[in-house]
Parts: sequence; structure tokens; C-alpha cells
Amino acid sequence: MVVYSFYVFDRHAECIYKKRWAPRPGSSSKAPQANGVLDVQSPFKGLSAEDDAKLVFGTIFSLRNMVRKLGGPDDNFISYRTGHYKLHYYETPTSLKFVMVTDTKTNNLRIVLHQIYVSLYVEYVIKNPLSPVEHPGGIGVNCELFELGVEQFVTASLQN
Amino acid sequence: MHRVVYSLIIINKAGGLVYNRDFNNALNKVSVNDLLVLAGTFHGVHAITKSLTPSSLGIPSSQRTGIEVLESSHFRLTSFQTFTGTKFLLFTEPHQPNVDVIIRKVYELYADYVTKNPFYQLEMPIRCEAFDRHLLTYMRAR
Repeated sequence: MVVYSFYVFDRHAECIYKKRWAPRPGSSSKAPQANGVLDVQSPFKGLSAEDDAKLVFGTIFSLRNMVRKLGGPDDNFISYRTGHYKLHYYETPTSLKFVMVTDTKTNNLRIVLHQIYVSLYVEYVIKNPLSPVEHPGGIGVNCELFELGVEQFVTASLQN
Repeated sequence: MHRVVYSLIIINKAGGLVYNRDFNNALNKVSVNDLLVLAGTFHGVHAITKSLTPSSLGIPSSQRTGIEVLESSHFRLTSFQTFTGTKFLLFTEPHQPNVDVIIRKVYELYADYVTKNPFYQLEMPIRCEAFDRHLLTYMRAR
């Protein structure tokens, strides 16, 4: 399976963490590299790097509200799939939103996103005494350990 | 028999709601106004998800597709867009198999009983008794 990108949004609808993986050139498996080559350009054509995060948030926000309206307040939006990619969604009770964009053949990643929240976000961001409570502009989330953890997590748990 | 198709919504190419029918009460009752908003929202989100296709895949924009399947813990939404831009949204039970077959059949019924109806105006709300009847028969027979 291939992971294209990963986003974290806070409860103020701000993108506080964003990471993209470029496919390994010339490789058929296209697995993300261990040292994660960061794509300098936006993976979404014709959009700047900030715009795609906003579009992703708008999409998940609308879909989440739609799902709540139809399925009741205890219904959760899990994922959607187009012909070319699949977007997985996990929301914590504190309205922190984790989004991962992968290829279409990937199974449900809700558990993986939950694991990222529990074992990486809580451990390295929440428990960091120097990290602010809110993360405007992504301060506090861009810490080295979290970054490294996400990288390893994605490479290890998703490459099989 | 436990019916697993919850409801059907048809959206025209401009994002307007032209048809909706519930087959059971598994989903919340939504007012027509909210359904219209929902149809419009889905139409917009469909267009956004199309443009969110990662460009590293190198897929030309003409071949990109919007949202096809949406999963939630209570239902699954399968969307099918015809070449003319009409969208069929089918709400089913999360593990319902062969939804694409059902949606094709619905499209077939739509082609036969709605578009071939000489009194039906394109892009307008669907009020065709024969379509209603055959749709219901098909859903019951399943």
C-alpha cells in the first residue's frame, strides 16, 4: 500500500501538522522511503501547499456533518474512496482530526490513526511540557520525536 | 426479510435534488430542505475530491473521479455518476455486497422509465409513477 499524505487538524479547523510522501521513482511498490522524501511541490495540481489542507478540511467537515445528519449523532465518518485514492479519517473526542490519504486498495486505517494519536501525539506532543496547549501554526507538533515517530510508524505498519 | 438498501437519492448535473426515496427507516428522517442542502453539499464535495487527487499519480484531470464510496459506522454511501453528470447515491448497510449491480439496475430503470417518459423534463424533479413502482418492486425482490 502507498501513503500519499497525512494531516492533523485542531479543533479550530487549523492544519497543525502536514506531511507528504513522494513515491519512490522507478519502484513498482511505491512504498514511502524510510527517510521520507518530502515533496516540495503540492501533490494536488494547481493548488498551493496551504490550499490543499484547506480543501481536505472542507471536505471532511462537510462529509462529517452529512454523516451525522443521516446516521445520528453517534455515527462516525470513517473513510471515502474515489477511483484513484482513499481518505481515512479519525476524530478524537476533543475534535482533533487525523486524516491519511492512501491508495484505493488499503483497508480501514481507523485503528492506525488511533494508534498515531495514542502512541505518538499524546506521548510526544501532549506530554511535552514545553508544548503549548493550542498549536497555532503547528508549533509544538513539529517536534522531532513526533515527526520521526510518524515516519517510522507509516513505514513499519503500512509497508506489509 | 431484512432489507439492506436504506435509500436512494438522485442529483442532477447542477447539484439539485431530483429524486429521493427511503426503503426503510434505518437512517434519520431528514426534511426535504435538509435533503436539498445535502444534495448540494455532496455535489460540491464530489468536485473537490476530484481535484484532491494526488498529482504524483500523474492522472490527467479528465480521467479523475470524485467520491465513489463513503463509509461511516452506520451506513455506506455508494455514488455513481453517469456520463451526463447525473449522480445516483445509494445508502446501504455497511457490508452490503454488489452495490454496483444494484446501482446499475437503478440507472437502467431511470433510463427506461424516466428519460423515456415523454412528459419528463430533464433536470427537473422526477415524478414518474412507473419508475416508483418498478424501483420498489426491484428493491423488494432482492
